[in-house]
Amino acid sequence: MAGVADEPLLSVRDLAIEFDTLDGPVRAVDGVSFDLRCGETVGLVGESGCGKTVTGLSLLRLVPEPPGRYAGGSIRFGGRELLALPEAELRALRGRDVAMVFQEPMTALNPVFTIGSQLTEVLRRHRGLGRREARVQALALLERVHIPEAARRLDEYPHQLSGGQRQRVMIAMALSCGPRLLVADEPTTALDVTTQAEVLAEIRRLQGELGMAMILVTHDLGVVAETCARAIVMYCGVIVETNATAALFAQPRHPYTLGLLQSVPRVRETRLAELPVIPGRVPDLRSLPPGCRFADRCPRVSERCRAEEPALTPIAGGGQVACHHPQP
Amino acid sequence: MDVLQFALRKLLAGVPLLVGVTLLSFTLMVYFGPDKTYELLGKNSTAAQIAEVRHELGYDRPFFVRYAEYLRELATLDFGHSDSTGAKVSTLLARSIPVSLALELPGFVLGNLLGLALALTAAFHRGRWPDKLIMGVAVVGMSVSFLIVIFAFQIWFCTSHGLNWFPVRGWSAAGPLDYLAHIAVPTLATVFVALGYNTRFYRAVIVEEMGRDHVRTARAFGTPPLRLLWRNILKNCAIPIVTRVMFTIPSIVIGGALLIETAFGIPGVGRVTYEAIISGDQPVLKAVVGLTASLFVLTLLVTDILYRAVDPRVSLQ
Amino acid sequence: MTAGMARNGDGVAVPATRRTSLWQTALAKFARDRAGLVGLTVVALYLLVAIGVWFGWWATEWADITGAKWAPVSAQHWFGTNIIGQDIFQRGLYSTATAFEVGLVVAVLVVVLGGLLGATSGFLAGSWVDEIVLWTMGVVDAVPFYLMVAAIAFALADYPYAMHVAMISTFWTTTGRFVRGEVIKLRGLEFVEAARALGVGQAAIVLRHVLPNTLHILLVQMTLCFVDAIKAEVVLSFLGLGVKDGMSWGLMISESTLEFLAGHFNNLVAASLLMFGLVYAFNMFADALQDALDPKRVA
Ligand SMILES: Nc1ncnc2c1ncn2[C@@H]1O[C@H](COP(=O)(O)OP(=O)(O)O)[C@@H](O)[C@H]1O
Ligand code: SF4
Ligand SMILES: [Mg+2]
Repeated sequence: MAGVADEPLLSVRDLAIEFDTLDGPVRAVDGVSFDLRCGETVGLVGESGCGKTVTGLSLLRLVPEPPGRYAGGSIRFGGRELLALPEAELRALRGRDVAMVFQEPMTALNPVFTIGSQLTEVLRRHRGLGRREARVQALALLERVHIPEAARRLDEYPHQLSGGQRQRVMIAMALSCGPRLLVADEPTTALDVTTQAEVLAEIRRLQGELGMAMILVTHDLGVVAETCARAIVMYCGVIVETNATAALFAQPRHPYTLGLLQSVPRVRETRLAELPVIPGRVPDLRSLPPGCRFADRCPRVSERCRAEEPALTPIAGGGQVACHHPQP
Repeated sequence: MDVLQFALRKLLAGVPLLVGVTLLSFTLMVYFGPDKTYELLGKNSTAAQIAEVRHELGYDRPFFVRYAEYLRELATLDFGHSDSTGAKVSTLLARSIPVSLALELPGFVLGNLLGLALALTAAFHRGRWPDKLIMGVAVVGMSVSFLIVIFAFQIWFCTSHGLNWFPVRGWSAAGPLDYLAHIAVPTLATVFVALGYNTRFYRAVIVEEMGRDHVRTARAFGTPPLRLLWRNILKNCAIPIVTRVMFTIPSIVIGGALLIETAFGIPGVGRVTYEAIISGDQPVLKAVVGLTASLFVLTLLVTDILYRAVDPRVSLQ
Repeated sequence: MTAGMARNGDGVAVPATRRTSLWQTALAKFARDRAGLVGLTVVALYLLVAIGVWFGWWATEWADITGAKWAPVSAQHWFGTNIIGQDIFQRGLYSTATAFEVGLVVAVLVVVLGGLLGATSGFLAGSWVDEIVLWTMGVVDAVPFYLMVAAIAFALADYPYAMHVAMISTFWTTTGRFVRGEVIKLRGLEFVEAARALGVGQAAIVLRHVLPNTLHILLVQMTLCFVDAIKAEVVLSFLGLGVKDGMSWGLMISESTLEFLAGHFNNLVAASLLMFGLVYAFNMFADALQDALDPKRVA
């Protein structure tokens, strides 16, 4: 058992995910590796389209197939290989051991069933509760995520709730079975600014209380700084840098990370709708340059960068960076 | 109470439509319809005779008076007598409508159920061979004319040139076997043609629903496939499905019956209509057109009210 | 102005990029759709046959009695002859031209009527004009198609184009509804607002700015209408409400009802296969067109 205890909760190795498109297969995730220990919080940052959501979905093996396909690598969770798990076992795992909160609270809930019905369904399936018990638990969950008039809300339909309230319901649902890992995919992006702060605070508080591990997908570096112990920066389907949040902010090593940090406004009155703009364009996943994917936008680019793709390598100070000429 | 109010409001909203369809059928069939003066009088008649007959037929009365008369006929189901057979139109309809229902209903239900089943199969194997096969056959079904299908099946199943299993023409519902023998080929033809359209429609609706966020959420919480199908897909597709079923009822009953009953010599309302079209039998036609259109409007209203029952998003406003 | 915005006579910028890119991607997508290309090719072949008929290159003897009653398939009569000894192959070819005549006339007029009424009602959404158009669509849709045709044939007595009128006056509602929906969407867009702010007249806005942006809907509806018209013709001719003079697949099929119970299938098979070929090809073409033009369509 000693070996199992040492093993991280989640271990992703060389994960590759492809999508079939009209122009042939596209690698949305291309050799991603990272670990997560029990109770740890990690922020997954990167521009829109860099593969954050796909990575998050793969942790529940939820990438739509087709057009998607797991093209290689491994995802070990709690000692089991998810990519080899039979569908029935995956179903037992989804929502119970690994839960996910999605970006779009307006559409993520089933519009034709009440909040109560959707919450109790999960409780009854995964915790084997009876009808009445499940309802009591559902009410407790809604109160726990601070939904006002929780008892009344149980019998309401999603369209009767505001976006923020719906996202709280999603969070309640995700936490209902005490998962060991929560994947929160831009949980606040679709909400207005004040609601964003409240919901985020809620997630932070509950994560602390329940002690689960969490992957927080976001394009907001500020959110990562406030919430996560560690950050992973993705670009075009690969991890370009990862480090403890404090170290990453204090000394970004990858030119892309630096670019992200530099373009964060000093005084942050409002949260950003989109990641700050870095000059240049994200290359098309269908026709990636042979060398470093960031080469066209990088101020430190050299001959070597254009010829040879940099691998993720450990750096002094604990992090890892994929760059031939990291910032000093 | 809410539901009652909602229903009343919907019914009220249906009034302009009812006025419209009755006005349309009146204008086309009665006002601009055939002039029977000369039929009754013969060619060589005096102006006075003509005027007298026209007055008797009511042709000299103003448009809206005649329209009101037509409405009264519709409301009391009293359309007078058929020009060609002399039978009372209401009796004619009362006799033929049940036949049409008995003939069309099995095919209608089967066509929708099978269409839904095939669509589900195709949608769940989206992009793989079962999907391609089903959708390929559906386009074939959509591309053959109903009339050709009827003739082909008739030759194949009902004549000595083919299997010769069933009667070619006629109608009898004396016993269950008799009934089945007479509806078998018409039903096959109806299902064959309906399947093409139904399968495509249902598949499009289902595939769209399968791509929705709430389906992904349900999967993320371990919902098993059948439960997903029921709670997330079918329940959410209920509105388009109910709409389609309700919308196609009047046109299937009349349009489908028209061809089937004519080809198979079945004395249903379709055959009655066909004969009225051929012989220019105005009292029958104006009854059929007016009634079907009004029935359609009423169906729409019922559908609207049904929405309320299947989908909480449809508010009572 | 931004690159890609073209100025036109009114001095209002229309988003040229929006339009051209839709057509460019659609063309690229269509060019890769094998079924669609095959469909289009077959349709083109049929059109060639029809053109030949119009110019008198072939099928000139379709009405003549050129052989014995029910002559079998032979080098002289490729599909045999019918009940009175007319050549079925020639009649089949001739009917191709009729099919295109019916299909094109109906499809074009449906799209014009549906486009204009739909655009007007969408542009004036909420006004009494819109209410009237919506009401008309509701009324027309409430009458089953064949009955509508019968009623119109009734009212128009022996007018030879009663069938065309009937099809056009029932088919336009679908196009009308689609265009109305699209126009309501377009109405809120910047370039239309800008045109209005500059005092461009309503009719000019609809004709010059709004309708061109609904062309993709009109094109798709036109293909669908074409298919519907050809299929409806067969049934209507059988019911005695169809093509009045000339020859059509529907008339051939009606004619064949006198023959097939006696065991002579040539007329039925020839007309059915010719018609099926065109309709199937057109359906494939229409499908590919919809896939190419509607990015949100589920395929
Ligand atoms: N359903 C899909 N079909 C095709 N490609 C997809 C699909 N989902 C994602 N992708 C591809 O994966 C890439 C990453 O998407 P995603 O993970 O959603 O990005 P983000 O970082 O914004 O969450 C996209 O740029 C796209 O190319
Ligand atoms: S490898 Fe070269 S191009 Fe890529 S980020 Fe580092 S310095 Fe820039
Ligand atoms: Mg995302």
